[in-house]
Amino acid sequence: MEAEQLNGRIRGSLAVLIDSADELRDLDQALGDGDLGITISAGSAAVIAALEQLPADATPVDIARASAKAFANANPSTMAALVAGALLAGSRVWADVTDVTIADAQAFAAAAATSIAQRGKTQIGDKTILDGLAAVADALVDQTDADEALDAAITAAAAAVENTKELQSRRGRASWLQERSIGMADPGATALQRFVESWKIAGVDSK
Amino acid sequence: MKKIINAPEAFVDEFVEGILLAHPDLVKTPGDDLRVLARADAPRQGHVGIVTGGGSGHLPLFKGYVGTGLCSAVAIGNVFSSPSSDQIFEATKAVDGGAGVLYLYGNYGGDVLNFDLAADLADLDDIPTRTVLGRDDVASQPRERKLDRRGVAGIIFAYKAAGAAAERGDSLEEVAAITEDVVEHTATMGIGLAPTILPTTGRPSFELDEGEMEIGIGIHGEPGSRRGPLETADEIADHVVEALVTDLDLKSGARVAVMVNGLGATPLEELYVLYRRTHQILAESGIEIVKNYVGEYATSLEMAGASISLLELNDERLALLEAPAKSPFFQEG
Repeated sequence: MEAEQLNGRIRGSLAVLIDSADELRDLDQALGDGDLGITISAGSAAVIAALEQLPADATPVDIARASAKAFANANPSTMAALVAGALLAGSRVWADVTDVTIADAQAFAAAAATSIAQRGKTQIGDKTILDGLAAVADALVDQTDADEALDAAITAAAAAVENTKELQSRRGRASWLQERSIGMADPGATALQRFVESWKIAGVDSK
Repeated sequence: MKKIINAPEAFVDEFVEGILLAHPDLVKTPGDDLRVLARADAPRQGHVGIVTGGGSGHLPLFKGYVGTGLCSAVAIGNVFSSPSSDQIFEATKAVDGGAGVLYLYGNYGGDVLNFDLAADLADLDDIPTRTVLGRDDVASQPRERKLDRRGVAGIIFAYKAAGAAAERGDSLEEVAAITEDVVEHTATMGIGLAPTILPTTGRPSFELDEGEMEIGIGIHGEPGSRRGPLETADEIADHVVEALVTDLDLKSGARVAVMVNGLGATPLEELYVLYRRTHQILAESGIEIVKNYVGEYATSLEMAGASISLLELNDERLALLEAPAKSPFFQEG
């Protein structure tokens, strides 16, 4: 995927993702402090605006970094800082990339997952966005067809969210609920699932 | 809630404006964001910059220690909230004199995330950064988990040392190592008698019954190691100083700097009553107080209570404490 197409696809996906903001707010109110809705809606709007301002010759790295800065500053929550750090970490593995392949996307997701694990001091199974992101990174390994890869990512992200319902939250405010968090889907992992789904919807819309 | 404020949401910007109007010779806003304050002569070419930051409500911490021989800039959050990564990054650019930038701030989750993200942004701009966290609150975690401790008033010793090292032209690696060494030898414990009321929410920072005190309280009203009936000043000093001496493993013959710090609503007289006993106990243990600081250095708005900090000294650390420094709220030499 060339940079210009990448830029358009991100903007299209985030425009779809904003529709999930209320769902994410409600999930987060049950488990956390409820600011995930505004983090996603304000963050998505800020990224869309920032990407519209990028020059035509912006590279995929430029796009990832502009997205990170915009997302971090829109609503400076813990989640926003973690996601922005993850996007910057992903951008580092794209140093010379001009045409993003499935393997590049996989490397980006893996680097992003590592960043969230380190910065958030969290592991897979702690019931966080990392559960979804790591599953997506795994699902993209060795994929060759773009549509199949995306479907695999969506399936993996949805399965990861389903798994989080069985788990007890171990990080952030949600951890204060202890066993009461069991039975509820993790809002961060759900946000990632909705993003991957939005990526597909935006792709269909653009065809 | 009775406070001398205008609108609660204007509180932070308005006190920053006040500081700028009162001390134009010492501090400035490098850009158009009031939430970034830098020393008036920043950036200083060839010198390491020191950026601190954190939530508001702790004056003189954090913004009061920007000046000569101290921090180079501060990023200012809302009351008890982290500044944004963008504000920290702006502060970083404002003080970068080509020798790199040290991030020195208290160990709190939101601050760590935003400073780390700012470090990423600085790295993309080829500004090297190092991070040292204030983590002196011995009540927040046992010694085995000292890296997870909260940062409280003892960070002022770290500011002083880092600022002195940067002022004399030490490299980023040297400044970071010196600062880490000071943090490693600093211990603080606080006691809370009455909470503050947050201007935005109108709610108290914690609840405490009449006649009770919280031992080991944090500077946002975080719970300490225990709660009990209010003790005399001498009993309080005995408990706190013993905990600090044990934590730092101080022996007879050791030299220390002592800070007796008011948390906002405790009068200076009471701080000197605490200092009196602190001096007596240390003297009885053969520990020499070489420097002392009694007053308000790190507060929690109008929280009532105090903290005591000890820094174990050697010649190197003492020289750094004694180096000249000047900021709106601190002067040495």
